[in-house]
Amino acid sequence: MAKKQRGKSASSSKTADIKQQTDHFSLMLESSDDEAPEEVTFEDSKAEALRSMKQALDTARREKEQLKEKRRKRQELFQEQKKRKLLPADVLEEIDSKEEKEEERQTGTCPEVCKLPFSTPERESASFQQQAAEDFLQSRMYGPGSCRTTSNELLSLQNKTGRNKSAAVQFCFNPEHCELCPNNTRT
Amino acid sequence: MGEFKVHRVRFFDYMPTAIRAMAFNSRTERLALARADGALEIFNFADNYFQEKVIPGQDGRAVEALCWVGQRLFSAGLNGEITEYDLENLRPRYTVEAYGGPIWTISSNSQGTLLAVGCEDGTVKMFEILEERIQFQRNLDRQKGRIISLSWHPSGTLIAAGMMDMIRIFDAETGRATHRLLVERGVGASKSKEVVVWSIVFLSDHTIVSGDSAGKVQIWDGVTGTLVRTQLVTKWDVLALSVSNDESSLVAGTSEGTVVQFQFISSTVGQQDKEWVRTRTFKNHSHDVRALAHTETAVVSGGMDTQLVVRPLLDKVEKNTQESALRKMTLPHRSLVCCAKKAGLLLFQFPDHLELWRLGESDGHGEVLKQKDHICCSALSPCGGWLAYSTVTSFRLYRLQNNNISITKVSKLPKDLRSAHQLCFSPDSSKLFASSSHSSVIVVALNQPECKYLHTLKPKSGSRQPVHLLFASEDGKWLATANTDCEIHVYNLDKLKLHCTVPVYSSCPTAIAIHPTTSNLVAVHADQQIFEFSLVQKEYTEWSRKLQKQGLHSLWLERDTPITHVAFNPQNPAHIILHDTFMFCIIDQSLPLPEAKTPFYNQMTLRSLPEPQRIIHSHAFKICKNFQHLMCVSLLEDHSLVVVERPLLNIMSQLPAPVRQKKFAT
Repeated sequence: MAKKQRGKSASSSKTADIKQQTDHFSLMLESSDDEAPEEVTFEDSKAEALRSMKQALDTARREKEQLKEKRRKRQELFQEQKKRKLLPADVLEEIDSKEEKEEERQTGTCPEVCKLPFSTPERESASFQQQAAEDFLQSRMYGPGSCRTTSNELLSLQNKTGRNKSAAVQFCFNPEHCELCPNNTRT
Repeated sequence: MGEFKVHRVRFFDYMPTAIRAMAFNSRTERLALARADGALEIFNFADNYFQEKVIPGQDGRAVEALCWVGQRLFSAGLNGEITEYDLENLRPRYTVEAYGGPIWTISSNSQGTLLAVGCEDGTVKMFEILEERIQFQRNLDRQKGRIISLSWHPSGTLIAAGMMDMIRIFDAETGRATHRLLVERGVGASKSKEVVVWSIVFLSDHTIVSGDSAGKVQIWDGVTGTLVRTQLVTKWDVLALSVSNDESSLVAGTSEGTVVQFQFISSTVGQQDKEWVRTRTFKNHSHDVRALAHTETAVVSGGMDTQLVVRPLLDKVEKNTQESALRKMTLPHRSLVCCAKKAGLLLFQFPDHLELWRLGESDGHGEVLKQKDHICCSALSPCGGWLAYSTVTSFRLYRLQNNNISITKVSKLPKDLRSAHQLCFSPDSSKLFASSSHSSVIVVALNQPECKYLHTLKPKSGSRQPVHLLFASEDGKWLATANTDCEIHVYNLDKLKLHCTVPVYSSCPTAIAIHPTTSNLVAVHADQQIFEFSLVQKEYTEWSRKLQKQGLHSLWLERDTPITHVAFNPQNPAHIILHDTFMFCIIDQSLPLPEAKTPFYNQMTLRSLPEPQRIIHSHAFKICKNFQHLMCVSLLEDHSLVVVERPLLNIMSQLPAPVRQKKFAT
């Protein structure tokens, strides 16, 4: 009957004396060269296979999460940068005298509508808490696991199941709304 | 009717904001509604659900909850402040910092003496409600998690608080937390997420009903602190709960857009023991229902799809009547568009900016506001030379020159011109009228380059309500004003004093106008009644009496959106042009009034008839439904019609993400 092998799969957390035992054991094996090949029990090999599969899945999952994390951080950074870029302009316009000079000579083209959070130094911490609370709401309602779709898809479904079928509501004429369209086609 | 050249305008990108909270005052029958941008609206449920008052929002106000205490209205939000509103001057009266971080909920005891707020830092803070203000009293025992929802027991001795993963019952007098009710988390993937008790109701028999983010409505025994029943109503969150005054019916609003009703009835007829049984499900929203109110006869719901829905309950009202109809309020009950008739300009009012467009061109000019306060009202002079707008705290006047390419701010403004609820320019652009506090109107003369204060017009009635409608007659002689006390006052501008007051009608006026040649005042009210009053004779006109005697056609009276604008046709003095959200109508006073049995919408059939037959069958109300949803219909000086539409689909396609529902075969 083949002895149960421990060999390579022994974990490093095992105590020192067991390691000694293993070393001693393997030394003994090496001495007998023309013995029958190592027999590994069914349980061991099954356990080994499962372990390696699990490891592979784990690494794959970890990698995916890392990528997601990276992507999220980059997105946050971009948003932060965008906010920072717009904020100085906003602060300047707050000052009344400068505002008057600005509006003396306002010319034609339709300027961008900037919706910026109003902030002054003393309300910094309060607005930070407010932002955290709003983030909590946002993540509970629209975060992962909330199972959401887009308004455009909802309208498409209504169109599909409705009595009078007509053209899609959005063909992405508005570039800003393109992200909402699952089929990003520009006509 | 004649033919009109129509400027069809669809570039007003008006987007209504999501409804965050609401509170119904059963004594005054007013519904207060808070939107995501901090704006507050008051609807009069006794006057055909007319949107009586609007208090503009403010950046950062983030209202999460509303509460009526008698006639006083309080709100609390994520900015950590409690605000009391001045409903006569349409502005916040004062704000109080709660110092507990963001506030999630506010509720008063039934005695109206204490106000409790639930804060992010885990405290329930009690404020004493005094005559002119509120005063911090004390904190209840601080908890480890945020307080998301609160409900007082009707006796005022206990408070139930919905938190994360649990419900706490507090003794309101000692401040001690007496019970902890553990709420089960969701199944599967949701098991790792904390369950949020979004809404809670404490009934007088000590039953507590809670709605949570795992989609459950749970009934608890508040005395023993044990769970009585669980009902899973949705896969998503139950965001709001509301109970009727008699505690026989309860409604729950979900993220799916459904409103589920529970009734306290016995499951077998004739038996005594009652329990909460799920009865009806209403699906009147496409997006999350975040706010609910249960009136005596109806369920009122609102949420992320921005529409206010009133669903009368068929066991409380008579079926198939006007009363039992479903009501949906989508667009505001006031005009956000100002048309400069002579210059062919349009002014669009957004909460935080204005847009100025010239008809016929595709480029607009925008005025961007970098202010915290949102715009109350705005106006454009008919010649297109002046632009004015007001916020709750400030007033601005601009001079438009060089074909509106340059906009110059008028810096020196009269001191009395602080902020206005409604603005109106005189037809010759020489004067500006601004409605001020307590139904008074400030008259300002516009001389280039500055403006000078002339006079303040005040009615004799001493009403404290704000003026929401202003109209200056074409000949510059009269100014008509209407306030939310249903009063219409007409002032003589030559003498700068009150000329007459129209007899008060029980419904609030929604649009007023003065005919350019006959000087007849036309007033349309929230209940769809139309009156014509002669300013010269100071009495109702013959036509108006005839209309009242015959009565308006039932199809006219059944319309569920108010008339927001009245105009006249210079080419035909017998025409009155009015519009609501779904139609515009030209009333021809020279034609006979429709009888009750006459087909009302007969324009299409008339067109197919030969000329002599057409004359026999024509009646005074010519209705056109080709354009929807209407934000403004106005007549320019060159006799062309301007129709500003905002199709509902355009609004719906820009709403935030709804939940994804898997439907068979899609």
